[in-house]
Amino acid sequence: MKNKQNQITIIYILISLVLAIVCFKVIPKYATLDQFSLIILFKDFLFILLSGLILRYVLYKNDIKNSAIFEKLKKKNDDIKESNERYDIVSKATSDTIWDWKILEDKMIWNKGIEKLFGYKQDQIGESSKWWFDKIHPEDSIKMSIKLYSFIEQKTEKWQDQYRFKCADGSYKYVLDRGFILKDEEGKSVRMIGAIQDITKQKIEEQRLKLLETVITQTKDSVIITEPDLLEGNIPRIVYVNPAFSLMSGYDSDEIIGKSPNIFQGPNSDNEEFKKLIYAIKNHQECQIETISYKKNKEEYWVKYSMSPVYNSDGELSHWVSIQRDITADKKQEVEKEQLIRELTQNNKDLQQFSYITSHNLRAPLSNLTGLLNLMEDIPIENPELKEILDGFNKSTHLLNETINDLVKVIIIKDNPSIKKEEVMLKEIFENVFSQLNFLIGLHKPIIKFDFDKVAFLNTNKSYLESILLNLLTNSIKYKSETRKSKISITANQIGDTVILIFKDNGIGIDLVRNRDKVFGLYQRFHDYPDSKGLGLYLVKSQVETMGGTINIESTVNIGTTFTITFKNKYI
Amino acid sequence: MLDTLLFIDDDPITLMLCKMVISKASFSKVIITAKNGEEALQYFDKLIQNNTENKKIPQLIFLDLNMPVMGGWEFLDHFSTDKYSEYNDIKVIILSSTVDPEDLKNSQKYPMILDFLSKPISKEMLEYVSTII
Repeated sequence: MKNKQNQITIIYILISLVLAIVCFKVIPKYATLDQFSLIILFKDFLFILLSGLILRYVLYKNDIKNSAIFEKLKKKNDDIKESNERYDIVSKATSDTIWDWKILEDKMIWNKGIEKLFGYKQDQIGESSKWWFDKIHPEDSIKMSIKLYSFIEQKTEKWQDQYRFKCADGSYKYVLDRGFILKDEEGKSVRMIGAIQDITKQKIEEQRLKLLETVITQTKDSVIITEPDLLEGNIPRIVYVNPAFSLMSGYDSDEIIGKSPNIFQGPNSDNEEFKKLIYAIKNHQECQIETISYKKNKEEYWVKYSMSPVYNSDGELSHWVSIQRDITADKKQEVEKEQLIRELTQNNKDLQQFSYITSHNLRAPLSNLTGLLNLMEDIPIENPELKEILDGFNKSTHLLNETINDLVKVIIIKDNPSIKKEEVMLKEIFENVFSQLNFLIGLHKPIIKFDFDKVAFLNTNKSYLESILLNLLTNSIKYKSETRKSKISITANQIGDTVILIFKDNGIGIDLVRNRDKVFGLYQRFHDYPDSKGLGLYLVKSQVETMGGTINIESTVNIGTTFTITFKNKYI
Repeated sequence: MLDTLLFIDDDPITLMLCKMVISKASFSKVIITAKNGEEALQYFDKLIQNNTENKKIPQLIFLDLNMPVMGGWEFLDHFSTDKYSEYNDIKVIILSSTVDPEDLKNSQKYPMILDFLSKPISKEMLEYVSTII
């Protein structure tokens, strides 16, 4: 440009010089002296006019050129302004975080999205790429750096990556980062602009779906998914089976997809169950089916499955999901169990019958003995030795009778798990018990206190309660301390609908450290007492439990024993 | 005091015992015994055939349950038939050593059964029976 200006200037000077020399040489030859000064003046005017015209032309040309440049620049400026405005609008409108990285200077700027998405205030944001890399989850950072640098070095054309970005609160968000690069005239990467999108929700959903998929593929239960509608009366076509199904049935997924599960049916399949299934599918109802199914090799197996409708977001039936389980082993076990129960029930019945027959056969001669002894009571016996023998005979018979009666009670309790209850007056029951123990009470004279003020009536089985109290009271009197006056207290309390009977004595007690687990056992005797049968507490516990109650014992050797009996006092 | 009592039991000792207790308690003038249900039915068969007026018709039967040849229940089944209809008003007391609850349940099927008592027979038992017949 400058060269052109110099050229024009030199040409102008040269033309001017030539004109001046020409005028100097020519004018003196043709002009008179008078005319000389006039001609010189005319020449100068002419030269000035010519110079002015040339200058005007040059200025005019220049003006046109400048104006075109100005217009061009103005337009470019407007374009840039508009583009900047657009960028501002887009960056405001998008939920993405936009970053701008001047690579050579390592300067990085972020738009306001960084605060919206990740909670960073402007003063928390670093100015270099280091700040960015520091925020990337350590597990993702290496992989991400490799991809990014290979992009910058132009080994790849596009760059996008997923990684976890740390928020201001320390948590991480899954992000999708996409960027493009700006190059200088030499094609070197100088600037990179990117947009970060929060994909945490998608990622969580993706993980959830992956988990669900894992469940379906890993579960031991077979899963079949079918189309929604019946196919000419057949079960809808299969669209998916999981590996467990292939394992169970022997069918690979590609040989079964697109077919109706009707092919699992066979001669021994339950037709009623099939009808039930078709009905449920027709009516879009969930159902449970148990039937015999057939494997690919035609082997039978018992299968139990559910068939559940699946609806899409528009509420339309989209599929059926069936969860199936091979229950062949369970079925076999069930049959065996039933057989075992039948056998046990029969055995039990036989044993029960045996116990009744045995009891009868023992009781029959025993009743004769008792009857005969009763008759002998009226016959005077002179011989003291015979009298003693008969006394022993009498006592033994009596004890045998009691034992057999107790055994019979046990048999009857075990045979009758539910018993009839009635409303009884506690005091009345105790009076009955006392009258039966008249002899024993008269002999040992224990101090007996009872308090039934709080529970006058009890809904119970009268004969069981009598038997329980008779046994406990007999024990307390029999196993009294030799050194202390025997004291027995019986109290009844009611809490809500629970009645608590507390039976306490100061007798010789039972060593519970050694015997706690045996106390209520059958044929357990803890004291060397001649007519102890080892049946009493077993009978008591059986009777309490048959009435739906519980019994507990606390005892200390040589201090005493406390029995706590609880049962529900319900009036049905 | 009853005129005639029929005692059906297979055990001779029980029979002996009963005779002694009954006569001591002056419960019945005559005690007829049968050692099983069949023998008892034969006794009634004879009564049916015998048209004389001097028939010893029992007013009460003590019946055991477990007996050889014909047990107590089988006897009652036969005895309830039309054949013995003229004797259907005779009351029966079961006297047994059974503990089987089924027997007790069974006894409710026969209206002629007055009570179900447990052996042995005793003076007190007879006093009680006197109050219910």
